[in-house]
Amino acid sequence: MSIVRYHIRHLTTYRYSGRIDLCHSLAHLAPREDEGQETTAHRVNVSPAPDFRAERLDYFGNRTNYFAIQGSHASLEVLSTLTIEKPGTAAALPSAGLSWDASSTTGKLKDDSGIHLVNYVLPTHACPRLPEVEAFLRPSLCEGRDVMELAKELMARIHSEFDYVPGATDTSTPLGRVMEQKQGVCQDFAHVMISALRSVKIPARYVSGYIETLPPPGKEKLQGADASHAWVEVHAPATGWVPFDPTNDTIPGNRHIKVCHGRDYFDVQPLKGIFLGTGKQALDVEVDVKPF
Amino acid sequence: MIEATTVAGDRLDSFPQYAPDASRRDEAMGRDGSVSPAWAEIFESCRHHGEGVLEAWRRDAARTSRERGLAYRSDSLDGTEEGWTLDPIPWVISAEEWSRLEAGLSQRLLLYSAILADLYGERRILDKGLVPMEIVLGHRGFLRTLHDLPPDEHTVGLGMTAFDLAKDGGGRPFVLNDRFDSPYGLGLALENRTVVNKVLPDLFRRCQVRRVGYFFSSWFEYLAGRSPSDSPNPRVAILDSSPDGGSSEIGFLANYCGIPRVTASDLTVRDARVWLKALSGLEPVDVIWKTNAGRDLDPLESSHGMTAGVSGLFEAMRENNVAVASHPGAEVLQSPGFYPFLANLCRELLGEDLVLPPVATWWCGDPAARRFVIDNLSSMVVKTVGHHSDFRTRYGRRMPREDLAQLKARIEGDPGRYVGQEELTISTIPTSTDHGLAPRGAVMRTFSFLDAGGIPRVMPGGLGRVGTADGVIISTRQSGESKDIWVRSPVADEPISIARQVEQGRIISPEVVPSRTGENLFWSGRYAERTDSIVRFATRIIEGRSSGFSYDHELDAEHERALVKGLFRIFELGALLKKAKTPDERLDRVLRDETCPVGIAANLRSFHRACLAAREEWSPTSILAIESACDGWLEESEGVAPELRIESRLEALQLNLAAFLGLNLDSMTRDEGWALLDAGRRIERLTMLSGLLRLLLRSNATGTIGTLLNESVLFVSDSLRTYQSKFLTIPATPQTILLLLGEEDYPRSMRFLLERLESVLGKLPAPAKGTHPAELVGPMSTELIGFLSENFEGEQGRPGMESNAQAYLDSLLGRLRELGDLLTKSYFSHVGNPT
Repeated sequence: MSIVRYHIRHLTTYRYSGRIDLCHSLAHLAPREDEGQETTAHRVNVSPAPDFRAERLDYFGNRTNYFAIQGSHASLEVLSTLTIEKPGTAAALPSAGLSWDASSTTGKLKDDSGIHLVNYVLPTHACPRLPEVEAFLRPSLCEGRDVMELAKELMARIHSEFDYVPGATDTSTPLGRVMEQKQGVCQDFAHVMISALRSVKIPARYVSGYIETLPPPGKEKLQGADASHAWVEVHAPATGWVPFDPTNDTIPGNRHIKVCHGRDYFDVQPLKGIFLGTGKQALDVEVDVKPF
Repeated sequence: MIEATTVAGDRLDSFPQYAPDASRRDEAMGRDGSVSPAWAEIFESCRHHGEGVLEAWRRDAARTSRERGLAYRSDSLDGTEEGWTLDPIPWVISAEEWSRLEAGLSQRLLLYSAILADLYGERRILDKGLVPMEIVLGHRGFLRTLHDLPPDEHTVGLGMTAFDLAKDGGGRPFVLNDRFDSPYGLGLALENRTVVNKVLPDLFRRCQVRRVGYFFSSWFEYLAGRSPSDSPNPRVAILDSSPDGGSSEIGFLANYCGIPRVTASDLTVRDARVWLKALSGLEPVDVIWKTNAGRDLDPLESSHGMTAGVSGLFEAMRENNVAVASHPGAEVLQSPGFYPFLANLCRELLGEDLVLPPVATWWCGDPAARRFVIDNLSSMVVKTVGHHSDFRTRYGRRMPREDLAQLKARIEGDPGRYVGQEELTISTIPTSTDHGLAPRGAVMRTFSFLDAGGIPRVMPGGLGRVGTADGVIISTRQSGESKDIWVRSPVADEPISIARQVEQGRIISPEVVPSRTGENLFWSGRYAERTDSIVRFATRIIEGRSSGFSYDHELDAEHERALVKGLFRIFELGALLKKAKTPDERLDRVLRDETCPVGIAANLRSFHRACLAAREEWSPTSILAIESACDGWLEESEGVAPELRIESRLEALQLNLAAFLGLNLDSMTRDEGWALLDAGRRIERLTMLSGLLRLLLRSNATGTIGTLLNESVLFVSDSLRTYQSKFLTIPATPQTILLLLGEEDYPRSMRFLLERLESVLGKLPAPAKGTHPAELVGPMSTELIGFLSENFEGEQGRPGMESNAQAYLDSLLGRLRELGDLLTKSYFSHVGNPT
């Protein structure tokens, strides 16, 4: 069995027009350890150096880092570097052995990580129940269709019917707007897919991570470069969680590196900061994913 | 002496003829018309005093409330902008009945405490299916971020809880509602007790009413005992998150208990510790009694774009550097979705049968229950299980057919979100009305907490609420009347005062003035003086119009123009003069403009806002003066009050402001907060005085106009009479300047104001770094003395005095602005504003 290895460098820079006196941050930058990949090295360097740091596991088992900078500063850099290795596998679509209209009656309480699956069926702030999402899903709801087949078709339809337009949305854009303008970026497409599956009680979760974007010879460059990436995982009792990437219409395999998962973007936001001070902020994110 | 005859068991055929509704249960009177023993003294007292007594008591209660500043409360049980009036007739409960209720409430407290510990710990009640998962996991108050912070014996679990009780037609008590995240109504209950005790002291004593002081003192002992620090004097603060001025009942609780009321912006987290931004610098906070939902507490860990709150607070809790009451994740327990499963939970978690049942409730996520709710929708109360803000409780009985159909569709579209509840016909209690005592449906909000030993403590009493004449439902969102609740005791309770406990050192929270309070006191002083000056300007203008000063219309008009221009220029609003060209338009800005900085209304609003934000600093009488000043003017501006001549309205406003300013002189402790209020007043007076004198100097007017302007400047600075008795001449510029700048021991002169300003600023603590603000005042005084000795020879100005005076005033205004900035930097903003 082959092994794939990646170096990842994820740099977030905040620049302020004024001085910031106090900053509290919460980072979801450390990869999960229970996802069949091994993190051989991981560091988060923060500049200026934090006055206080703490690491812990969140509700979903993701590692989070809290840090506070208590002195006056005009910019903030958070550099996450990690080395990952995982067994090379051919992406394949398993069968759930279960049709979508029977999914809600399966009665499995928890997934393998011990989280109640109901968490992934209920609506959230970023993935509300919307009639337009239900209407979008309807054409794919053929009677008796396997849960994973349904997810695959939904992924393909999102990829073909929505346009990938960086800057068309930001993290505060409501799902209804995304449905209306049929444009967005990876996290919007993930939210659309999650909301659609949840509307028929199929557990679906949001995955944050990275994607290798250097195209192999003769292959198309994948979208998601220069930023962190997001996709979806769908649960069935027979398969456990199965990943789908609606942004690229692909079943994630060797080129996707998973970091965290949760109900939606806000559960796993890579970096969240509350700044106290004056002035406006400018945010810049750079991501490099290099195989070696 | 009142005759102590009893009417228990008697029928009432004379006053107060009380006739409960035959179809409902009444707590005070049986169906045969006999009075229950617990209520005997109430009826007897009414009978003894005769007709008219109810009205007298009501009046007395209203007046007492008003004196205490309660009549102006703008918060209600939901923090909405509706008030509750107080009915002085209490809700009386016998000792036997209370002990039964207390047992039920105690069990409920233990039960919910066990549920809370499980939900933020092992979550076994979900694994076992004791509660449907979506009821918990779909509730906005279930905070996943606190999954690693289960309440234990060292931290706060439920904290102060509120359970709402009512009785049905058979006299069985039911729980209608629970509150786990805030003490709404607790302060109100305390206020009501204070007022009713004053209105009915004899009756209170004869009924041997149980006192509530002990309950409060044990609550504060409990809170202080939760402090994770080793400090012998832990600092407890009550966190008020109500918008604008803050909630009056929270201010009342803070005052009663002697702990600071703080807002989220007063607090900051550093090194995972919570600090209070105080005038003296950053002061550690050990225990926070929060009054808002936990999900609004820490923006760093809330899941959607909230920025208000205390960032880092949850981290400070995890590091065990602060205790927060209640557990921020307790709001999930408020879901009515628990009700159908409560009896079972009680057996599983406590091994007991549930004593006090909740109102019958069906969760629509269960198909059979859903059918039942839909089939009986017209008699159901429908609520959401997740406290979603987009759905208000619906009462089927009051809904037209088409709305019921819509509601049915809504439930069927997402049944797991809804519960249906039986609509109880709740029992009534006697309530005073314009036509004697009348029966009104009543709900009781009880308060309780688990103490450090896990022992339930229930407040003997609570907040009674009664509905309107036809109302069966008492919604917390609707205004109504509130009542004190009297729990009778076979023996008289010893009165206990929190104040005494503080003296005895049992409850200690070190004195500290939050920066926000200091800043608001400073601005209360400034706006009061500023408004007063504008009122004087307006009075002078109107006086000139109605009686004339000079027998010459042209001259009077010119004088008015100069005066108004001067006023606008003081506020750097010279540009506005081009928009408001006519004298009437200009005066209208002053008298009626709500937004323009020169408008009386705009300044009064700012004054009111600053005062209310520092509510706990004022005596009840000061509150009355504040409210009278603002209500009197603002309500009439809105055309509510009857027409009054503008002169008398200005006079009344001036009187109220004078009362407010005078009261502060008399009734406030001379602490740092007072120093800032006083500094604000003096800085404002100095600023206004500089502006007035610049107006005089710039006009360069001579002759009659000059005299009139001198008179006006003296009038606005309240110095006309002093001038006349001192100089015995018609007002002239050099003497006016001499008086207003240099007069010794004259409270309206700059010299005096500067001396006082320096000494009052001296009371403020030294800032963490940089210059002490008091040091900025010395040079202003020195420069003033220099100006006077160089430019005056006796009472006569030397040549060039006027241009030197202008230069001095310009420099003074610059220095005053610098002083204001330094005060802000040193005491008010330890860090900048959230971005």
